[in-house]
Formats: sequence, structure tokens, C-alpha cells
Amino acid sequence: MKFLEHELAYRRATALSRREALRHMGAGMGSIGLASMFNNPVAAGISGNPLAPKHPHFAPRAKRIIQLFMPGGPSQVDTFDYKPLLKKHAGERPAMVDRKTLRNTKMGLMPSPFEFNRYGQCGKMVSDIFPQTAQCVDDICFIHSMHTDIPEHAGGILMTNLGALQPNRPSMGAWLTYGLGSECDDLPGFVAMSPRAKPRGTMANWGNAFLPGAHAGTYVNIEKMKPDAIMRDLKNTHLAPAEQRKQAELLSQINKLHLERLGQDQQLEAGIRAMEMAFEMQFSVPEVFDVSKESEATRKLYGETEFAKGCLIARRLVEKGVRVVQLSHSISGYDIAWDTGHGNIVDGHAELARACDQGIAALIKDLKNRGLLEDTLILWGGEFGRAPTSEGAKGRDHDHYGYTMFMAGGGVKPGFSYGATDDFGCTAVENRVHVHDLHATVLHLMGLDHEKLTYRYSGRDYRLTDVHGHVVHDVIA
Amino acid sequence: MKPHAMLSLILGLITCAGAAPTDGDTPGYTPGQVAFFENRVRPVLAEHCFRCHGQEAKSNKKLKGGLLMDSQASLLKGGDSGPAIVPGTPDASLLIKGIRYTDNELEMPPRQKLSGDQIATLTEWVAMGAPWPGVDPATIVAGGEEEPYDWERFRKTHWSFRPLGRGALPKVKNSSWTRGVIDHHVLAGLERAGLQPNAPADKRILIRRAYLDLVGLTPAREQVQAFLDDTRPDAFARIVDELLASPHYGERWGRYWLDIARYSDGLGGFGDGAALPNAWRFRDWVVQSFNADMPYDAFVTAQIAGDLLEGRPVPVATGFFAVGPTYKGDGGDPEATAQAQGETLSDRVDTFSRAFLGLTAACARCHDHKFDPISTRDYYAIAGIFNNSKLRMHPLASKEEIEIYNKAQAAIKAQGQKIKDWEAHEREEVMRKGMRRSQAYLVDLFRFHRQRTEPEGQKDLAAYAIEHQHDPEVMKRWDAKLKDLRFKGKLPGLDSWYALKATADQTEATEAQIVESAQAFQERINGILDLLGKKDSAWRDARSKGDLKTGRPKAGGKEEQLLNELRRHIFPVKLEKVLTDAGRGTWDGMKTELASLKKHAPPKFAEAHGIGDSGSADMHVALRGDLRKKGAQVPRRFLQILSGEEAPAFGKGSGRIELAQAVVDPENPLTARVMVNRIWQGHFGEALVRTPSNFGTLGEKPDLPELLDYLASRFIEQGWSMKKLHREILLSSTWQMSSAFDLEKFGRDGDNRSLWRMNPRKLDVESWRDNLLVVTGELDKTLGGAPAKEILGSTRRTLYASISRNGDRFQSDDFLRLFDFPDPRATSPQRSVSTVPQQYLFMMNSSFMQARAKALAARLSMLEDDEARIRAAYEGLYAREVEAAELSAGIAFLGEDSAGQWPAYAQVLLSAHEFMQIQ
Repeated sequence: MKFLEHELAYRRATALSRREALRHMGAGMGSIGLASMFNNPVAAGISGNPLAPKHPHFAPRAKRIIQLFMPGGPSQVDTFDYKPLLKKHAGERPAMVDRKTLRNTKMGLMPSPFEFNRYGQCGKMVSDIFPQTAQCVDDICFIHSMHTDIPEHAGGILMTNLGALQPNRPSMGAWLTYGLGSECDDLPGFVAMSPRAKPRGTMANWGNAFLPGAHAGTYVNIEKMKPDAIMRDLKNTHLAPAEQRKQAELLSQINKLHLERLGQDQQLEAGIRAMEMAFEMQFSVPEVFDVSKESEATRKLYGETEFAKGCLIARRLVEKGVRVVQLSHSISGYDIAWDTGHGNIVDGHAELARACDQGIAALIKDLKNRGLLEDTLILWGGEFGRAPTSEGAKGRDHDHYGYTMFMAGGGVKPGFSYGATDDFGCTAVENRVHVHDLHATVLHLMGLDHEKLTYRYSGRDYRLTDVHGHVVHDVIA
Repeated sequence: MKPHAMLSLILGLITCAGAAPTDGDTPGYTPGQVAFFENRVRPVLAEHCFRCHGQEAKSNKKLKGGLLMDSQASLLKGGDSGPAIVPGTPDASLLIKGIRYTDNELEMPPRQKLSGDQIATLTEWVAMGAPWPGVDPATIVAGGEEEPYDWERFRKTHWSFRPLGRGALPKVKNSSWTRGVIDHHVLAGLERAGLQPNAPADKRILIRRAYLDLVGLTPAREQVQAFLDDTRPDAFARIVDELLASPHYGERWGRYWLDIARYSDGLGGFGDGAALPNAWRFRDWVVQSFNADMPYDAFVTAQIAGDLLEGRPVPVATGFFAVGPTYKGDGGDPEATAQAQGETLSDRVDTFSRAFLGLTAACARCHDHKFDPISTRDYYAIAGIFNNSKLRMHPLASKEEIEIYNKAQAAIKAQGQKIKDWEAHEREEVMRKGMRRSQAYLVDLFRFHRQRTEPEGQKDLAAYAIEHQHDPEVMKRWDAKLKDLRFKGKLPGLDSWYALKATADQTEATEAQIVESAQAFQERINGILDLLGKKDSAWRDARSKGDLKTGRPKAGGKEEQLLNELRRHIFPVKLEKVLTDAGRGTWDGMKTELASLKKHAPPKFAEAHGIGDSGSADMHVALRGDLRKKGAQVPRRFLQILSGEEAPAFGKGSGRIELAQAVVDPENPLTARVMVNRIWQGHFGEALVRTPSNFGTLGEKPDLPELLDYLASRFIEQGWSMKKLHREILLSSTWQMSSAFDLEKFGRDGDNRSLWRMNPRKLDVESWRDNLLVVTGELDKTLGGAPAKEILGSTRRTLYASISRNGDRFQSDDFLRLFDFPDPRATSPQRSVSTVPQQYLFMMNSSFMQARAKALAARLSMLEDDEARIRAAYEGLYAREVEAAELSAGIAFLGEDSAGQWPAYAQVLLSAHEFMQIQ
């Protein structure tokens, strides 16, 4: 096997120099998205690797992003948006709550069934269901004034991940790898994961739509994950490694003979290179997903839940240069986990929080210890929040007028809270942030101007933010 | 950077992405002010003010307060209360006062206060002097009275709108090279560029190219040999004719069209999740139409309005629109619903305009097209046609067949209903008997509990029930329900049972209390049942006369509710347990008859997904693309740039017939140009216009405009025959050139825009996979029919794969997309060609490739030795002889145990680039 290791080291080295070469080529191209301006996808496709690193528009604050997606709509007033007045006015129904929600529930205000306590230097009030994340508030930047267009899951989820209500636009992750490429060429540039259920909308959440196929996220279900079956056809089941090596060499030789005969052929050259990379991926991909390689201390830090395993894999992935990781929460087959809040906030939310709290906190701490947090952006949140009024006796209906998301690392202000909902957590009233604004801000942190990151398709230039979006400069450190 | 690209870059920055026009006539505004107005202020005004204070309100005489708010001037002029703004002084401006809601008399907008952000924005805007770039107030109303395009300038200056021209043949020096008009144009271009065409391709390459190009299947060794041996001058023309006559031609070329039709089997995920189980009938129609060489104008007409054609309707062809996405709003939210409808219409307009006309009309959904002469009025004129053309299942059968089928189904339904009624009646009889014994059940239930704990007491309720001539199941249900507090209140009259805990062991209730309570309950039930019995007689009469429609009378109200609780929870009946022999005989007889009806009913006639007329209402321009915000109404008609400013309104139904006529009108220069350009792309890998679905000003210009126009006019002249066009192209010297690389020529024209060589191409995924099965002898050549669910597990052609629009329903979806199969969410003018490592993982490790490798090895094992096998493999896979170096590499790899090594070696040959390349 020693031979193989040498060979792999050699290949990594040559791949690196190629990457350098591509980087120079990229510099010569001048600007992001330029290839598409030629309106010639074919030409863009064959010039080697579509995931080769590209220059951002300006110096980025974050080089990679981990999105901790909470589908179903976590309730803001039961997690991070502390509203003490709910207790005083419990059962009342002030006029401000009469807005169209999903079910137009008619009940009065319901105080959070959870206690809140003060944490950190910044003195943030956090619900008892997030005790570990609460320990990290001094690294977190909360946005309490999120709002979105509609109170429906599918549309809301697509809006959060695609910036559109229909599944026919590229996902944010696809836009990011399109704009920035990937820092590693033996792993996908964009990995989407969830334990158990995929979030509603499934593939669209990490899809490429009209962007070139290489920008689609690679989905991995971490519940039943086997390291060598993460990607389709990753493992060779019929040849021993030495035989496979011999076979790969013959294919390389035959392709090179053909290339000699042709003189020059870009597609063939790209094919030879892709074959070499594929060979390497068979070994590098299973390794990065194998959390047993971590120290016991690290594994203990993250804990035992499936979501935490996802957090740990996310860290391993970004460490290797994967640009975008999207980890969606799920504890059962339900594709909108947090929606259990309709019937019962106490049980549903407490259980979901328990399943993700330690993983989130561990990820923040671990990235910080490794010096990665400063240029890795963490984004937490769902597609909307929940109303401060009750639905039935113990639940809450959807609320898209005001909800909370948070970011950490990657150039955002630590220990900071931005924007506010009204006294009852109903509607975002101060420094409102629409999902389009959030997208503009994420792109900005990653070094991209959301108005310039465009792709010409069907006769016009498309953007993640469509014709909307303002960068929220106030959350940037 | 090329000047063109630089222009695109600059233009790119100010396209749709930048909202409304920003370069107004009003001088002196900074770009920041302009952007602030356009991005922040104008949207608020448009959304919240214009409905009552805009041009449309004015023209409808619905202007409120005499205030028009569509320009700085009109705001300064003000309305009934005086000037609306004092630029620079928000506090003195009525507009700001109104939106602040500080004065009860003046709260604007009246229904809901603007958000804090919006108020701050407008205040800031007035404070900066209320800059309003642009002087034309009508620009605010999208599609209102925008500055009309300079139509004549566009028609004269933009190449694709000009009439087809057919000038004299250009002069060429090397006239011996040309075989026809195509070559003349190509050679003239080459000579202008100072380039020589490549030499003709080798005969082996030529025949493989022709096979892959026309039918997508590689020729067998014998076919190659026969062609090599055929010395007749028209040997190649014979091959071309043979291939054009093959039914596999339609499979290859129909697939190109299916890309344009964004063909899939539905399953587009959330909001668009429906399956289209009959989509394949449209696919088969396309394949058959290509094979029959249906004239392209008829082909287009059928797809737009095939259901409306008099004489010979082809409704299946309208599947062109139906196989696309049809979005639904989730949960009925009005915004989501309007968006879904808007997106669906956008799909129709986009697909229609790009597929047939090479125009990107969907760009004009929210505002006039920035670069092409297509207005929002044009967009909603076309959208209106599709808004009146809803999805419809079209039967593909004669009226008689349909009638026979419907009759049989009606008989089945009637028999089913007869059985259901009979069963309900029988059940009801049993239940009513039971209900009349409620008192006995209740009293005995009480007695059971009282005696249960006694030493000699009967402990088992079921046994106790049987001892007292009760149905033990009914008894147990009474027991359970009367203990269940959730059930309390559902049996009025029995409330006391819960209070008395009459159903508990050692209950303190007395027998007298219980009997009294049970008796009252029984009397109440009897009363209801007696009443029902009287009502029943009229119903029985009707029934005996064969009236099965009249339902059995009900007690109504609370009485009925009470009976229903008893029916559902206490006395449910399993008919098979209670029927008498006679009853069972009747029952079985009826069921046998039903089975016989089902057995003899004809199978469902074929149906196709299509569209059908559903109305003829014109649409309103949707302001900023939001269907809930209506602008001016526009008649349904064709695009003004093509049919003139006075384009006639369409009046027949949805207007699709007239639309189709306008598209295929020979005066319309786009339709033929667009299609011949697509066909050229199919043969050369690159089109003459390299943006095949965008012939607008942002598309590319044709590389050889005279050639494009020659092909287009020739196409019309030859009756829109595609096969004649293929033939002419394949028999040209241009198509038959070698694809050999040439450093010098490459240096001068690396993109091969002047066509100095044939472009070397990668096979698309369909041909590549098909040929993996061809060379192993495994391909199933069956034509048409329902798709194979998982194409990787099938040996049919890849064309017959199931395709989900969301790309996540079939394992084959992944496979197809990995090899650049287009996303069927939107029309796709050309395939991208990507080379990614995952493709090689598939070649190295997939079970599909292993199976092909084994099959190839087995097929070759018939030959005498490894050398013969290798030779045969090279000829079969690449249509050429093996070279010495390749032979020795093969022999070396196979080594001693060659039988064991053959599959691994065969896999290498199948994975080689040469196999997936057309030279």
C-alpha cells in the first residue's frame, strides 16, 4: 500500500499545481460570472473544472459557510427572542396579532412555557431549552427582525434556501460555489446533509437549477451513512486496490495514446484529469466523513445525537475546503421538524432543541479553538417563526412577520443582537431584515456583491436576490 | 476581452436585475439618488399608492382626493388638500403627515399603516428633495404607456427580424471542393478568413459519424466493412438514405426536440408534484412525427393548437405545453397562489417564445424587455392565450370506443352503488334491532359489574353477555364507551351513568336508578326509531320501483347524531357475520355480477396530457409581474415586432389557432431560421447562431448569415421537410470534413466559427449509454411505449427512461444528470458538456459498467485468441483497426490469466474517451 500512498501524495501535489494554474486563468478572466456573459455554456463547461477557485468581488470575511437549517419554523419567543410581557398579558388578544397567518388562530397571547436566563458578557436572555448554545452567546450575532413572504412551509423553505417561492431557481449554496468555486478538488464544493428526513422541497434546497450541474449540492443522509457509500459509485466492489490501480493506469495510457493521435483535445484532457481525481476521491471522501478519526475529547464535545454528528462532519468538511455545508435538522421522518409546534410547544420544541443544542455549541467552540470560526460563517434558523398567540391549548401557528435567526463567526459582530420584534414578538418592527437582505448579507460576507453575482439564463440575468436585497452592514464586525 | 463580451458585461450590470429604468431625462441626480428612488421609493409608491393615485385610477375616474402621485410634478401640484410634498421639508409635507398616521383625518394608506422602514424611506426621500429620475410618469405603470419601441429601426437593423434574404452565390476560388450551396457559403467564408477546409474524413470515421449523428447507434463491424467495400459513387448517399428511413432516426432527433419541450414524466417536487403518467404518448408522437418527416410548420401548429384543428385534430401534440411545470400555491395563501399562476404562465410564454421564435419573451413579465422589442403588453397578450388554455386529458380514441367504455363504467358504478345500498340497508336493520334492546344491555351491564367482585360472580363480560342472550361484542363496546370519559355527552340521556359510575365494579348506584335511566334512554331511542319507521315506508315504495337514488330518510338533528354515535361505536355490524343464507345468496349474486361487469368492461382508452380551451378572457398587465396588481387590459394577439403595431386581436377561443398561424406564417422570418439553426447544431455540435433559443439583441449573431438564410428559405421551399435538410447537410463537403486538429488553423479560429473542420464532439448520455449496449449486443430496440422506470436496470434505449422534473424520484435521474442531461424545468436549447470526476466514478465502479464489461468480454470470448478479440473490440467500439501500441498494451494487461482479466480490460475499452467521442 506504500506505493499507493506515494502515488496519492504525488497526485495531490500535481492537482495543487493545476489548481494554481487555474487560479491564474481565473485572474485573467477578470470578473465573476463572466463566462456566463459569453452566453456559451458549452465553452464554460469544458474549460476544466467548473469548481476551480475563483476570485470574489472583494476581500471576503468568510471563506466558507455552514448553514444549520431548522425546517418547520422554530418559535422565536420560546428560544432566543425573550418577551417577558407575554406573561403579564397572557390570554389577551391585542389588535396587532390579527394578521393573516396559516390557520388564523383565534386564541390569546401565550407566554413561553420555558424559563429564560441571562448568559455571557452580553447578557443575552436565552430559553432553557438551549442551555449549551446559550454558553456561546458572546460569539453569536442574533437577528430578531427577520421576516419573509408567506407562512407556508414549502414556499418559505424555498425562499430561505433559494430566494424564490418556486423550486426553479438555484440554491444559495449553488450560487456560492458558482461565484467562488471550491477550495478542494477531491470533495464536492457543496454538501447538504440531514439525519433522517430531507427538508421539504428536497433537492431544490441544494439544487443548481439553471446553473451548471457541478454546482448542485451533494446530499448525504447521515443517519444511515456508510463512509464508502456517501456518493454514488464511490467504492469499487469488484477489484482489489492494486488491480484497480492497474486498470486506471491502462485507461490513462489508452486515453493518452488517443490524445497523441488527435494532437489536442480539450475534452479529452479534462477527462484524463477527471479520471485521476475520481480515483483519488474513492479514498478521500470516505475519510472525511468518518468521525471515528476524531479524538475522544472532540467526540465527547459534540455528544451523541445525529445532528451533532452532522455538525462534526460539517467541521471536517470545511476544514478540507468544502465551500458550503447545509445541515438540516430532523429527528424523525418529518420533513418540517419544528412544525411539531402547532400542537405542543413544550414537548416538540424541547425535544428538537435537545437534539441539536450541544452540536451547535460544540461546532462553535470547536471552530473557534481551531481558529476557523473567524472565516467560517455559521447561519442558524428556519423558514419563519411562530406566533406568540396560542393554537389550541399549547401550540403556536406559523408566523412570517417576525422571527429570529442567528449567525456566528465569519465577520459578524459577536455577542450582538440586531433588530427587534414588538413587545410580544409578533412582528419585526425595528431594523427589519427580509430573507433577501439576509442573502445579500451572506453573499457580502463571502466576498460577493449580490447585485453582481449574476447568471444569464433564458435571456436575462438572474440573481440569488432577484431584484431585492440590501446588505445589513450593521451586523458586520 | 472581445468587444462583444465587454458590451455584454456592461449591459449585464443594468439588466432586469436593476428594476426600472435608471437613466431618465432629469439631470443632476447622483447615481445613489437614482438607485435609492428606484430600489426603495418607487416600489413603495407602486405597491401602496398608485392603486388610488395612479394613472390607471385616473383613467378609470377612480382617482382619490384629486391626487395623482406618479411624478414629482404631480406631487408638487397636489390634490384636493393642496401640495403633497415640500421637497427638503418632510415635516411640512402632507404625504409624510399622512403616512405617519398622526392625524386621524389623514391616514394613508387608509387600510394599513406602512412599515417603519417604509415611512423612514419616504421621509428620507422627501428630505433629499424628492428626486424622481425620468420625466415620463407613465413608466410607473408597467405596460401602461411606455415609450413605444422604434419598431422600424429594429426591423431594419436587427438581423433576425429582417426578412429572409437569398443573395447570389458568393464567388469561391477552390470550386472543386464545393458540392452544393452550403459548401459555397462555407468556403467563401473560409477564403475570406484565409483558411483552407480540412481534408475529407476517413471513410471509417465518416460512417461512424453518420450512424451516431442520424440514429445515435454505432455501426456494426459488418456495416463498416460493407461501406469500405462499396465503391459506387453514391455509396455514402445510400447510407444516409438508409439511416433517414430507419425508425431509430426519430428516436435520436426527436430527443433533441424533447430537450426543447422540457419533457419529463412530471414529479416536479413541491407545488408541482403531479406525475404525468401519459407523457410518453407525447414523446412517441414526437418520434413518429420525425420519422414521418412531418413538415415543420405542421409540427409546430399541432403542438400549439393540435386539439383545435378541424378535420384531423392531434390533441396529443399539445402535450408540448402540458409536460412542463404547472405550479400550485401551497395552502391557498393568495400571494403563493398568484405567484404559482404567474410562474406557470411564465413557463408557457418562455417555452413558446424560445422554442419556436428564439425570443426571450418571458423577460417582459415584470417590465418591458430591456433589449428586445417585446413589451409587457406583448407578454400578457401571449400569456392571455395560455391563461385560457388549461391542462386537459385528451382521449385518443373514437367516440364509439369512449362511449362503450363510459357505458361499461357507468354499469359498474351503478352495480357498486346497488350493492352499497343493499349492504347499508341490511346493516341498518340489524343495528335497529340492537338499538331496541339498549335497555336490556344497559341493565345487564350494570348487573354484571355489581356481581363481578362477588366470590361466585361471573368475571368475564363476554361470557356474562352470552349467558344473558346478548351479543358479547356489543356488550363489550357498551362497557368501554360508558367508562370512557371522552365519550361522555355523546349519548344524551346517559349522563347519569357517568355520574353514578354505573359501569364500575361495586357501583353505588341502585338497580332502581339504573332501570329508570336505561328505560328513559330506551324510550327516547324507540321514539326516534318509530318515527323513522313511518318515514321509511315512502322510501321503501320508491325503492321497490327501482329508484335507487333517493336516500333512506334520516331523523335529523340531534336525534340523528345520537343514532350515528350508536351505529359507529356500539352497534357496528360485520355483515358477513349476521346474514341469513338467503341474504348471503343475494349478496353473492350481486357481487358476482359486479365482478363480471368489471371483467367484461373494455380497458381504459388511451389518454394524453394536453391543453384545451377554457375561456377567452383577455388578461391585464400584471404590475411588476404580480398578478394581483392589475394594469391595463391587453387583447390576445401576436408579438408586435413580428405582426406589426396593429397586430389583430385573436378571437377564436383561447386564440391558439391564430397564434399557430402567426408562428408558421412564411413572412415571419424567425421560425424557419430558428429551426434550421437547431438542425445545424445537431449535425455540427455548434450552431450557426450559438444562442439557439435567443435570436434577440443579446443573443449571438450568426457566424455565416447568408448560409443561415439560405438554409431557412430552402427549408420553407422544400415544404419544411427536415429529412431533406439533413440529407443536404450530410452530403456537403462541409459535413464530411475531418475533425483533425491543426495548430495553425486552431490559432486563427480556435472556436471553429468559420468551419475549417468538423467539431469533435462528446456523445450525449443517451447515445453513450445506448452504444454501451449496442457493442455488447444487449440493446433492446423496441420502439415507443411506457417508460422504463429505472433505465439503468433496462436494456432499452435511454430515450425511454423515466424522468422526474425534480430529478430525485428515480435513480436514473442522478445518472442522466451526471452526464449533462438537461434539467426539464425549462426549455433547453443545447446540452452543456461537463467533465467531472463523478462521471469516472460511474465508469470505474458502477454495477451498470461492470455488467457491460462482462457482457463484452463474454461476447468476444467466442473468438480464437486475445489478439483477435482485441482487434474485434477496436473495430466494434471505435470502427477502426487497433494500433500496435494499443495491442501490446492490451496483451500485457491481460497477462497469463486472460479470461479472468478480460472484464477489467473490456471496462477500460468501454470507458475510453474515444468511445464517447464523435470525430
